[in-house]
Amino acid sequence: MASTLVKTILDVIHNWAEGLAQQWGIPHLFVSIAAWIAAFVFVIVLVLLMVLLAVYLERKVSGAIQSRLGPMRVGPIGLFQTPMDALKILTKEDIVPRDADKILHTAGPVIFFVTAVIGYVVIPWDRAAIAAQVVDLNIGVLFVIAVSSIGVLGIMAGGWGSNNKYALLGAMRAVAQMVSYEVALLLAIVCVVMQTGSLSLAGITADQGGSLLQWNLLRWWMWPALLLYIIASIGESKRIPFDIPEAESELVAGYHTEYSGMKFGFFFLGEYAHLFIIAVTGAILFLGGWHSPLPATMADPIPGFIWLMGKALAVILIMMWIRWTLPRLRVDQLMNFAWKGLVPLGFVAIAVTGLAIGLGLAGGGG
Amino acid sequence: MSETTQAPLTTEEIVVNLGPQHPSTHGVMHFVVTIDGETIRECVPHIGYLHSSLEKIAETLRYEQFITNTDRFDYLNGLGNELCYVQAVERLLGIEPPPRTVFIRTLMAELKRISSHLVYLGCYGNDIGAMTVFLHAFREREPLMDMFEAVTGGRLLYNYLRIGGLRNDLPTGFTDQLHRFLDYLPRRLEEMNDLLTSNRIFIARTRGIGILTARQALSFGVTGPTLRGCGVPYDLRKLRPYAAYDQVEFDVPSFPEGDCLARHLVRMEEMNQSMRIIRQLMEKMPEGEIQADVPRRIKPEAGEVYERVESPRGELGCYLLSDGGAKPYRMHWRGPSFYNLQALPVMVRGGLLADFIATLGSLDPIAPDIDR
Amino acid sequence: MWAAICDIWQGGKSIIIGHTVTFRNFWRPKITDRYPHSKPEENWQPKPGYRGGFAQLKSDKEDRELRCIACNLCAQACPVGCIHIEGEGKGKERHPVAFYIDMGLCVFCHQCVEACPVDALTMTEEYEISRTSRAGLIRDLDELVAAGEGRQEVSRVV
Repeated sequence: MASTLVKTILDVIHNWAEGLAQQWGIPHLFVSIAAWIAAFVFVIVLVLLMVLLAVYLERKVSGAIQSRLGPMRVGPIGLFQTPMDALKILTKEDIVPRDADKILHTAGPVIFFVTAVIGYVVIPWDRAAIAAQVVDLNIGVLFVIAVSSIGVLGIMAGGWGSNNKYALLGAMRAVAQMVSYEVALLLAIVCVVMQTGSLSLAGITADQGGSLLQWNLLRWWMWPALLLYIIASIGESKRIPFDIPEAESELVAGYHTEYSGMKFGFFFLGEYAHLFIIAVTGAILFLGGWHSPLPATMADPIPGFIWLMGKALAVILIMMWIRWTLPRLRVDQLMNFAWKGLVPLGFVAIAVTGLAIGLGLAGGGG
Repeated sequence: MSETTQAPLTTEEIVVNLGPQHPSTHGVMHFVVTIDGETIRECVPHIGYLHSSLEKIAETLRYEQFITNTDRFDYLNGLGNELCYVQAVERLLGIEPPPRTVFIRTLMAELKRISSHLVYLGCYGNDIGAMTVFLHAFREREPLMDMFEAVTGGRLLYNYLRIGGLRNDLPTGFTDQLHRFLDYLPRRLEEMNDLLTSNRIFIARTRGIGILTARQALSFGVTGPTLRGCGVPYDLRKLRPYAAYDQVEFDVPSFPEGDCLARHLVRMEEMNQSMRIIRQLMEKMPEGEIQADVPRRIKPEAGEVYERVESPRGELGCYLLSDGGAKPYRMHWRGPSFYNLQALPVMVRGGLLADFIATLGSLDPIAPDIDR
Repeated sequence: MWAAICDIWQGGKSIIIGHTVTFRNFWRPKITDRYPHSKPEENWQPKPGYRGGFAQLKSDKEDRELRCIACNLCAQACPVGCIHIEGEGKGKERHPVAFYIDMGLCVFCHQCVEACPVDALTMTEEYEISRTSRAGLIRDLDELVAAGEGRQEVSRVV
């Protein structure tokens, strides 16, 4: 119901824009460009809103775990604390160290943020009928991982360009860590791809439609891959227990030690944007994307968009729970864990999935 | 081929300044660390940022006036420092405090030991990266602070002990408060052990890290949990009982490994032993006066005295030299953190940068105690 | 091989136990005092003998207003010398005309109160003792008397 309504509204707007363009004699190309810009604005706004929500949740969850209340003073139950912090960060002075490489110092946060945001264009937010996906790439899942791994360049640029030893150490750690954990992350994704036979995120979602039992979460042969994905995604988003690039007690703030003002804000936003895209991807890969957990026979008043957001938030909450429980690994232990623990686990996961396909349990896709 | 020949690719050691402002230096300390990649080649502690010339100030204050300053250098062990100082002055004067006073002083010092170890536990968790432990430990410390407040009127700076006595007796309702706390703390300690001590990542971060052999420890003059973590069960409360420690039973925990985990386990076990001591003290607590007869003007005869107690960090010593006046002619403190810090470069050499933080935290240094 | 499996099992178990601890704590009542939104009266009261601000107590004798006899013992007892007194009159007539306590210097050790022979000076349970200027931190006689209004007992742990 709601979805049809959204579709109608979108159609009306689109038709109106097309009609306007014809009336004014504007070439169709410009309409397309305008649509692209609108889509990108939509993505950016969405990302920023989700980041604000995630930061607020992080504060509240950590507070609750630690017997605190978290932010309480700005707005009702502290709801406006995070927006106010974002405003504050905009007004702060941008300090560039005298001996820093000015270009790299500026490029670092920009690359990091942009790459964290670009991945959102291939996320299918809702059923394809209402065009809630900016582009449906047939290698969507690969695109998300590939783009977000470019973020490492931003970290390295920032860490190197800061001309600070802490930043340099943090950046070097970040590069080593993200490259290693991407391998594990991809191995987990390979299992899902084997299951569905599609690299497109929309295709992966479609494979899990129908009923709750079709979700990869409830297919036992996907459990090794699920475990692997959770661990590797925490490593990929640089959170405790894998937060050695920032390791507060060792490296002060790691690669963004020398950043202030909005440049720091970009790193901060990028980090949470990255966290959120990994959570959304996880929700699509294992939790059925925008599909509702209710049986298909029941009328579902909640749009798929909300379901996907809810699932992603659940993944984020689990990652927060882990973050506020565990200590931090050491750099060599972290690499050992990735290559000696996760990569073999990835092969086990692939073998298990393959076995299930061979036995005819799994779809096996294309 | 270009004319400029490329220099062979080499690695370079870099010097990193950890501190004076660094998140994990437990106050203001400064370490110049030479690292090769992540491996520590050399570590030089620079101290003195919190020097407060306490020993010189002491020469300008009368004996009874200085008690208020003893709370301030090792701020986590205020009552223990007061105990050390007051005992030194009493020995100089030849005064014997009443038995009830001695018991209350011991009780307070042990409560303070628990409080100090809780702070250590929280800070160590934070150093290792488990931030939740930090707030949990401080949450458990809160009832202790309330008790100190009820007894002494202050939460951190107590000024509770007097020469030959105490400021006041235990307040009404203190016994109940204490027993409630003693019933509740072991459960919470168990919980924190589940959260931190038995955690696999924590063990991986601390086992075999920052090793100090017993011989090295003794040659550096290291004392306290750091020495007991090297397998030397050296505890002044047992070896040279002062205050009421000869009237209670307790064990001195000691682990032979000499690594960060051993030091951590020593402290965790010491909290249990402290609770045991406190229960016995409360049972045996005698009634009676709390103030001995002390001359109105405290003027010890010329002479010198060295008094030592077991602080949560090690052997705390107070040397007093009197020239017969109302003010000490010279006062010197042996702060355990200063001696324990000497061993740090030996312990961290060859380790990784993250091990440096783990080792430093396991020494539980207090910056004003190092510098005074 | 078996040892490695045991190791993984033990490690996984310890990590899961840790998560149950944080999960339990998530639902426990929070201990934050929302001071100054919630006044300490609700959660925390300064206990008797708390060492906060200072007060001069009034005399119950008819011929004098204050108990203080300006004997200067409190100023001598103070380790930091933050008390300054100017007295007037001889013998029984002696009373303070000026009495300053510099709260910026005070170390809250309570020794001045214990030194007082007539129980005139006391510390109070007042805990909001900060001021917006250094000069504001110096308490004069009027402020001290006002703080002691209606009070009879000196601060003492009971």
